[in-house]
Amino acid sequence: MAAVMRYRTAGYNGYSIEYSPFFENRIACASAANFGIVGNGRLWVLGLGAGPEGIDVEKVYDTQDGLFDCAWSEVHENQIVTSSGDGSIKLWDVTLPDFPVRNWSEHTREVFAVKWNLVKKDTFISGSWDQTIKLWNPEVPQSLTTWQEHTHCIYQTAWSPTSGDIFASASGDHTLKVWDVRQPRSVQTVRAHNAEILALDWNKYHPNTLVTGSVDHSVKVWDLRFPDREAMVLLGHDYAVRRVKCSPHSGNIIASASYDMTMRIWDTAMGGNRLAHVHDQHTEFVLGVDMSMFFEGQVATCAWDEQINVIQIPGLSMKH
Amino acid sequence: MAAQHRIEQISTHLTIRPGTMFGSPVGQKSGEDIVVVSALRTAITRAKKGGFKDTLPEELLYHVLKATLDKTGIDPAIVEDIQVGNVLPEMGGAKAARMAQLHAGFPVTSSIATTNRQCASGLQAVAGIASAIKSGIIEVGIGAGVESMTHGYGPTGTVLSTESELLCQTPEAKDCLLPMGITSENVAQKFNVTREAQDRWAAQSQSRAAAAQKGGLFDKEIIPVTTTIIDPTTKEKRSITVTKDDGVRENTTVQVLGKLKPSFKPTGSTTAGNASQVSDGAAAVLLMKRSKAQALNLPIMGKLVSFATVGVPPNVMGIGPAYAIPVALQRAGITKDQVDVFEINEAFASQLVYSVEYLGLNHDKVNPKGGAIALGHPLGCTGARLVATLLTELERRKQKIGVVSMCMGTGMGAAAVFESE
Repeated sequence: MAAVMRYRTAGYNGYSIEYSPFFENRIACASAANFGIVGNGRLWVLGLGAGPEGIDVEKVYDTQDGLFDCAWSEVHENQIVTSSGDGSIKLWDVTLPDFPVRNWSEHTREVFAVKWNLVKKDTFISGSWDQTIKLWNPEVPQSLTTWQEHTHCIYQTAWSPTSGDIFASASGDHTLKVWDVRQPRSVQTVRAHNAEILALDWNKYHPNTLVTGSVDHSVKVWDLRFPDREAMVLLGHDYAVRRVKCSPHSGNIIASASYDMTMRIWDTAMGGNRLAHVHDQHTEFVLGVDMSMFFEGQVATCAWDEQINVIQIPGLSMKH
Repeated sequence: MAAQHRIEQISTHLTIRPGTMFGSPVGQKSGEDIVVVSALRTAITRAKKGGFKDTLPEELLYHVLKATLDKTGIDPAIVEDIQVGNVLPEMGGAKAARMAQLHAGFPVTSSIATTNRQCASGLQAVAGIASAIKSGIIEVGIGAGVESMTHGYGPTGTVLSTESELLCQTPEAKDCLLPMGITSENVAQKFNVTREAQDRWAAQSQSRAAAAQKGGLFDKEIIPVTTTIIDPTTKEKRSITVTKDDGVRENTTVQVLGKLKPSFKPTGSTTAGNASQVSDGAAAVLLMKRSKAQALNLPIMGKLVSFATVGVPPNVMGIGPAYAIPVALQRAGITKDQVDVFEINEAFASQLVYSVEYLGLNHDKVNPKGGAIALGHPLGCTGARLVATLLTELERRKQKIGVVSMCMGTGMGAAAVFESE
């Protein structure tokens, strides 16, 4: 088994990590100085399989305020969008130095979520602590639509993997909402936890299945056809769950990152507590996790300990 | 500014405690919930006079454990542990309880313990079993309660034969020796609970219990017990089947109660009519995780949401519910207005009235089927009995949230929140 590949984001605490959908060895990390409380942000574009510890820097971009999320463009292989503590959203071209190719400043508070449309690929959404969700087209200088319905911070959003018009949002108001970009109001509201919901992802294989992670320490699997009750509760994290990701390779594999300093892999097809793996090599809150779509079982994490780790999960086969 | 807001926002991610102590919060369901599958009781009969006057406490316990197996049809072997609340039996009731368990058909491989938290013993047994399930010690258990105040009540059962001079140097410790009736008088005096208010509550308890009995509202919780009784005049033994609480006085009025003499001090206000009756009875609550109940295809009456015990000054021990209920509600993450039914033990009308007024509870929601003044208070049984009474009533009303609470001698209160389904 390959050893852990590492990179130190010196001076910056990791918030989000995302594999490029175009290049198998490229990842990006959105980070913030001083734990994102105050100070600058930095976007890291990193290459796997290089450098002394397996990861080397290709580009960095500095911003005025901390960066909390990033999403690679699904159409332009070198473009990536970031969201920031000052409410701004920036589009970067990693072939160009220093400055973003676009900058939008509409959100009035921290933007914790930015997600590129996986099906239509020409739009992306952002979710903010200002309680709004906005739809954007990279060619248009203003947002296309704004939705305000949540009554607390929006922490995460996720596009449907099968419809370019459907997305979901998770909020501190304890609800998960499902939206259709053609509708002015949400199409479904699920009271998913009795605490703030910080993490959300859409299963890539089951169009009715979403996964949430909450301040209540739990990861829950939801079937939108039966919203009265979660389909499954995954218990094991000792603190709030900050990010969840569904595997691009398997409908039953989920990764979760938590304030308990671990990243966990769950296999919903397993018996017992369904916990398949615990990555416990971070020494601070783990806020970002992503799974490679090129190498099954390869997982990248970023944390407040200024470390990026890329590991191969034992038991999940390596395919190319 | 922004920095301060961010710190506050992120700190909430780490400080808010999840769910509730036993599983999912009110209004939600999870496989991890601790649920009640069965809650049954015997009738409660008057000590030394009623239908169980010649039945031993362990026999009452046997009947209610056996009925739990018969009614649910579970394999007795899945019940890994039983806790039984009891206050008066010799040797803590441990030996007799084990005999009752084995005679009821549980295999020798299952275990049993007795527990004494005074008048909360039955509820403590339920909470103890729930905690054991929650922590993974067992998967299925029974929290029960039993008391035969025919046996063991009186001077030897209620007064310590020794009095430590050393411990009595602490006034609160010495107050633990006060007779319960005196603590009731203390509550009435200290908090201005009038004789009339106490008698009003007592009359209401009687009329509510009588109406509930007539309406068949206890039928689902009471198991018929066939036992032997000795005729007090002929001394002949005969078999009877006890199906009804026998302490209820339908025609009692405030006027009738007002004529009774104080029982504990000449100028007092606590009488035989506005205090709980001395009784015999048993109750049992079958608990397991929701996932287990679903796997066994068993019906679910409700879930345990929270439990709390608190201490209060021993000389006014009856105010326990006033202090325990808010803690249980807070742990359940709900307010008193969300509660549909309160079952609060009526040790004395004085402490009941004080607790209800202190908490500002709607009288209609408290003891809607009457309380211990009418039905009786078999000490160790009461906590488990109230769970059975509460859950059947919530089900009948198609309501959701209920609270069980009681005071305890030596100054404590216990409370638990249940959600019916």
